[in-house]
Amino acid sequence: MSELKKLRVRLTFPQELIKEPVLFRMAKKYDVMPNIRRARVTDTFGEMILELEGLEENLEQGINSLREQGVVVELIEGDIIE
Amino acid sequence: MGHVKGLKCRECGREYPIEPIYVCEFCFGPLEAIYDYAKIKRALSRKSIERRPKTLWRYKELLPIDGEPQVGLNSGFTPLVKAENLAKFLGVKELYIKDDTVAHPTLSFKDRVVAVALTKAKEFGFDTVACASTGNLAHAVSAHGAKSGFNRFIFIPATLEQSKILASIVYEPNLVAVDGNYDDVNRLCSEIANKYRWAFVNINIRPFYAEGSKTIGFEIVEQLGWEAPDSIVVPCASGSLLTKVWKALKEFKEIGIIKEVETKIYGAQATGCSPISTAFKQGTDVIRPVKPNTIAKSLAIGNPADGYYALQAVRESGGAIEDVSDEEIIDAIKLLARTEGIFAETAGGVTLATYIKLLKEGKIDKKDCTVLCITGNGLKTAEVLDGKTVEVYHIKPNLASFEEALQRIKNKEGK
Repeated sequence: MSELKKLRVRLTFPQELIKEPVLFRMAKKYDVMPNIRRARVTDTFGEMILELEGLEENLEQGINSLREQGVVVELIEGDIIE
Repeated sequence: MGHVKGLKCRECGREYPIEPIYVCEFCFGPLEAIYDYAKIKRALSRKSIERRPKTLWRYKELLPIDGEPQVGLNSGFTPLVKAENLAKFLGVKELYIKDDTVAHPTLSFKDRVVAVALTKAKEFGFDTVACASTGNLAHAVSAHGAKSGFNRFIFIPATLEQSKILASIVYEPNLVAVDGNYDDVNRLCSEIANKYRWAFVNINIRPFYAEGSKTIGFEIVEQLGWEAPDSIVVPCASGSLLTKVWKALKEFKEIGIIKEVETKIYGAQATGCSPISTAFKQGTDVIRPVKPNTIAKSLAIGNPADGYYALQAVRESGGAIEDVSDEEIIDAIKLLARTEGIFAETAGGVTLATYIKLLKEGKIDKKDCTVLCITGNGLKTAEVLDGKTVEVYHIKPNLASFEEALQRIKNKEGK
């Protein structure tokens, strides 16, 4: 049985996706709960810091679908390998 | 007792006690160490610093520890070399190299941050330290951790070359090679850091670890006779070093060690991994993550945790950020070696090449007193120079053969 998992991520949206309900659609389709903590949006692109909670495979699929649409999904820690 | 008050979120300002935590529970912003500067001002002066051993711990009141230093007791206080030959070559007035190519014990500035991180890890009572690294950080954690008696876990991507592994594995840490790409390794390490009670130096110890970089800034000021230079050029990977050098100058002013800070801070990146430089040039605050493609592996952080804060520091100081090609990096490594006798790793090439570019663009004045932060030793990345050095003169073991070569050398010099 898969367990509920939480993942803290930073999403960067390209300009063409700023007006699209990308996050809502992903959350609904993959049963992932987003908990937004911070966001910064300019007229050229947007950035969002949030926690995603869901079953591991759903998180995986949800994140992949965001990436396929052009959203950059990264851990909030930034790159850890130094 | 130390002089650190606690941790504070860089985004929302919420304060936290001194614990091995790194992110604000509310806004997920990064946490930073904050100090009681009034108390430090009473405890620290130029004279009291000058009386202490020449290590990074001579500024211990401005580092986030509670007791006495325990790790890296011989680290820091690297030479500030007056680069007269290089200055003459470039036509500039006053140039210095902050030479961390000779940092103790593993020849990069990571010896500073890890000294502070592991001292703090001791204070927290950890018995195991860890990091994810392809180079300098792995070397520093492996070596400092060996000396100070920690269990050590070093995570690397399984694709890392054998030559890079040697300078870590010789200290006999638990070296774990993870199958998968950089993203996979990053994600796994984040999970491990959240699950095991280990001191993961650049994750849960990051607020303490990062403060160690300030010692470069403190030393520059002290070695210039208690004056801040006009400009400092700092290489940017995560952006942390640059923000901490800036913080160091401001702290010295805050506690009255220096009167004024009019230093401009300049960031240096490789064009093949330049998310901070790109954001600076575009005039935006948002750092777009990139996939690194450069020979400057020690700066190849595509998603820099402190990129935004590095941008802020550069803008606040009136500096700039530039990026340079791999070819410019190699040329700069060679230039530094042949003029100053200092062999820097690729990050050092990035710093010098960026300085040269900023001079050409008129963004740094030739009359400025400038310091270049050279953060690691060239022996660590020697392979980038394969086929790009001057020729070797092969001779037979007899005088005639030598004299033939000598003639070739003289002819070449005569040109």
